[in-house]
Amino acid sequence: MDIKKELSTNQTILLIMSSTEYNGEIIDIMKKLSGKNIAYVTLNKTKDSLVELFKKNKIKTENIVFVDAISKTIKSVPSESEGVYYVSSPGALTELSLVVSKFIRHNFDYLIFDSLTNLLVYESKAPVGKFVASLVNKIKESKTKAIFYALSVKEQEALIKESGMFVDKVIDMEK
Amino acid sequence: MTKKIMVVDDEPDIRSTVKTVLEKSGYTVVVATSADDCLKKINSGEKPDLILMDIMMPGTPVREIIPKLGKFKIAYLSVVRTSEAEREDLMKSKNIVDFIQKPFDINELIKRVKKLVG
Repeated sequence: MDIKKELSTNQTILLIMSSTEYNGEIIDIMKKLSGKNIAYVTLNKTKDSLVELFKKNKIKTENIVFVDAISKTIKSVPSESEGVYYVSSPGALTELSLVVSKFIRHNFDYLIFDSLTNLLVYESKAPVGKFVASLVNKIKESKTKAIFYALSVKEQEALIKESGMFVDKVIDMEK
Repeated sequence: MTKKIMVVDDEPDIRSTVKTVLEKSGYTVVVATSADDCLKKINSGEKPDLILMDIMMPGTPVREIIPKLGKFKIAYLSVVRTSEAEREDLMKSKNIVDFIQKPFDINELIKRVKKLVG
């Protein structure tokens, strides 16, 4: 899959992956988008672990700004420091929505949302669906192109299906 | 005497799976659904030989509960990916004895539990 080509014709993409493909795919995509201005929303890895991972794979991190919804749950961090905004937890949907909206207004080239799967650990399907719909609408008012990651999890089929209705294209890596 | 393990996880599937396999391996298992629930059970007199604690759960953050658990041995279960430095930092407390990354192989988990409590 050529993610850049896909994003040239689709502003918002939902990328469904298996858990075995996931780690490799997120690296491949970042390599392809490297050098562009990216807002990276992380709901399952700390910003420090992502920077460590990207550097190990020779991916430039200078142009990436992180929204980290994990670090605050496991350690003391300020609300923001250079290149990162910290959100209380992946379940803090209002806070997350406010921070991501702020980023969208800055017209980043790309926004990566990693991942929808983690939202459902903390919230039920209804508010998560609403959150995704609202986020996609905000993205559509901007020039930013967005990729939403989701793992192919049987229990979350309904949310994935619902989210798929809001985005421009759904790519199932398993098919 | 049978060793007692407390499994603290907000995911019912993880609690029941880990409980079942540990019981099959000869351990007595108690479960808690959050860090708050774990503390409540400890304060009510539970004395586990090891606490297997999910690092991120709804309720009071785990990092705030850990100091209140004092002498009890704790092994983190973590679906969250951390950097090497963060992991070292999380392991700084004397009672944190292991960091087990999710998803884990169940045989590997038993091996590590055996190493920690016998």
